[in-house]
Amino acid sequence: MANQETQKLDNIIASRRAMLLGGGAAMAALAIPSTAKAAVTVTTFTDADILNFALNLEYLEANFYYLAAFGTNISTSNAASTAAGAAVLGITGTGTQGTVAVKANPQVPFALPAVKAYAIETAIEEGKHVSFLRTALGSAAVAQPAIDLNTAFNTLANAAGIAATFDPFASDANFLVGAYVFEDVGVTAYHGAAPLISTSTQGKTYLQAAAGILAVEAYHAGLIRTTINALDPTGSLGYIGYTQKISTLRSNLSRAALSTAPNPDDIPLTPGTTTYSLAGGTAVTATTIVDADQTNVIAFSRNTTQVLNIVTGGGAVTAGAKATGVFFPSGLNGTFV
Amino acid sequence: MAGAGTVAAAALITGCADDGTATIPPVTSYTDVDILNFALNLEYLEAEFYLRAATGAGLSATDAGTGAGTVTGGAKVTGLSTAQQNILNEIAYDEQQHVRFLRTALGSAAVSRPNIDLNAGFSGALTAANSLSAASATNPLLPTTFNPFGSFDQFLVGAFVFEDVGVTAYNGAAPLISAAGIASGYLAAAAGILAVEAYHAAYARTTLIANSINLGYTAYPYAQYANRISALRAALGGGNETPLAGFLAAPATVATVTTSTVVAADTNAIAYHRNTDQVLHIVYGTFSPTAGATTPAAGVAKGGFFPNGLNGNIKTTQS
Repeated sequence: MANQETQKLDNIIASRRAMLLGGGAAMAALAIPSTAKAAVTVTTFTDADILNFALNLEYLEANFYYLAAFGTNISTSNAASTAAGAAVLGITGTGTQGTVAVKANPQVPFALPAVKAYAIETAIEEGKHVSFLRTALGSAAVAQPAIDLNTAFNTLANAAGIAATFDPFASDANFLVGAYVFEDVGVTAYHGAAPLISTSTQGKTYLQAAAGILAVEAYHAGLIRTTINALDPTGSLGYIGYTQKISTLRSNLSRAALSTAPNPDDIPLTPGTTTYSLAGGTAVTATTIVDADQTNVIAFSRNTTQVLNIVTGGGAVTAGAKATGVFFPSGLNGTFV
Repeated sequence: MAGAGTVAAAALITGCADDGTATIPPVTSYTDVDILNFALNLEYLEAEFYLRAATGAGLSATDAGTGAGTVTGGAKVTGLSTAQQNILNEIAYDEQQHVRFLRTALGSAAVSRPNIDLNAGFSGALTAANSLSAASATNPLLPTTFNPFGSFDQFLVGAFVFEDVGVTAYNGAAPLISAAGIASGYLAAAAGILAVEAYHAAYARTTLIANSINLGYTAYPYAQYANRISALRAALGGGNETPLAGFLAAPATVATVTTSTVVAADTNAIAYHRNTDQVLHIVYGTFSPTAGATTPAAGVAKGGFFPNGLNGNIKTTQS
């Protein structure tokens, strides 16, 4: 029995790794202005590789929220970040260190007190994720790669059919929509990574941390979705529609090939038009605060190639080339690039 | 699921000591079936709460399992707006589907719904939460008339009782799943449900915090009530709590508002995890078999929301 179990486990691991690696083979470039045409060609990986992949994403998220909440990046303090007690974070490490491109004076001119409170909270929490992962990785931690929060949103907004330009730092609502771009991606990325972590004692420790960060990303996603839903409950202001376009774009970017239908791995907000059947067969209308499959209501999961395609806006078709574009103009640092 | 037992250590054998008290089984780890059934008990509780709040009716007989226990309490929340009703419908559906998913995954090993008492669970929590500390301006007592089915705001406090507990329970359980269970996809499923519970928790916490920021806690005391519940969970469940914050007595402005705490997490911004004993103490609302005890102890097997305890092997606290 143990042998059968072992064999079964080996098979599953092999297939999971094949999924992780080969997912890109069938990926095709999408209609996004991008030169990225890369596939992940990793044949072996360690827990550190997985954590470093996550660290790249946390650098991106933390910088976005620091800039929105305080008007400064994660490695530079200013009066607003100091007043909020937000730490100045290290960004050095292996790979090529880059800077953050953003418009002048990016601090959001908040008009809604609650949204400002959320921005401060989320910035501090994403910053803690950066420092936690850097500490866990020690000298193996990757440096912050070059990050674009300036033209990237224009590219995505254009591709999603929202507008030719989009400034997530312009208002409370725009900030929430910008945050929407990231948070569910974080959930799916950590979800996809969790079962890949080794079962060693150290791996179990990492798994506990990854599961805990997964939950926090889901809290953030729930916060953003709840707030957009409350701001625009009927969709008349257009923000619900933006989330639908963004979710469609994310699904498009994580599909297997241009010839296939978009991957059904993203549920946008709806103005209470989703219909569910409750006990006894009662049909009811419902919101979609949760981004999960609508049968088992289990959050979606994405492999590293799918996540890379979303954050670089690229179609990964050429083995060996690094995925670059959108938020990561020079690509990620680490093994999964 | 087959073969999960190869990783499990001791089976649960509950005996009787000479003095008549239940001995504590020497369990060092649980099977994947035990863990999933533990989760299923919690999902039954959540599903009954949200389904009754949304529609007035609970799980179907099919979803509750053969020989299911009874459910006491719960009613359709009155005075909901359409938007609020839609939120309740969504969460009710989510939890119903979690019950169905776990029952399908467990197959014939699935436990049926245990007896659930929503009235006793909430009234016990109210009494215990109010007895923890004296009332003050920032820490008002829960009203004796508190009824989680009486209004949307009270419902939010009721939901708060459950959601962060679900997060910490799934987070605690994830690393316990065996290698075979990971291969079978149980870890991925548990992680995915964990995320959904966190989305739900964020909904309740965001809404309580937003109303408190916009109205001030003098006019909107429900986040303060929730913080009493949080303090009770901390006492029963080994700490692992982040109270709601970010609001003032009066409505906040952009100039006066400070950071919120929508996320319940530790100093590294990593969500808390609780072991099964800590979760049992919370849902049983009971510290110890010894009456009047105020620290968690072994031997608690029922109480609060579960008048006859959970079904399955994870039922009695060992610490």
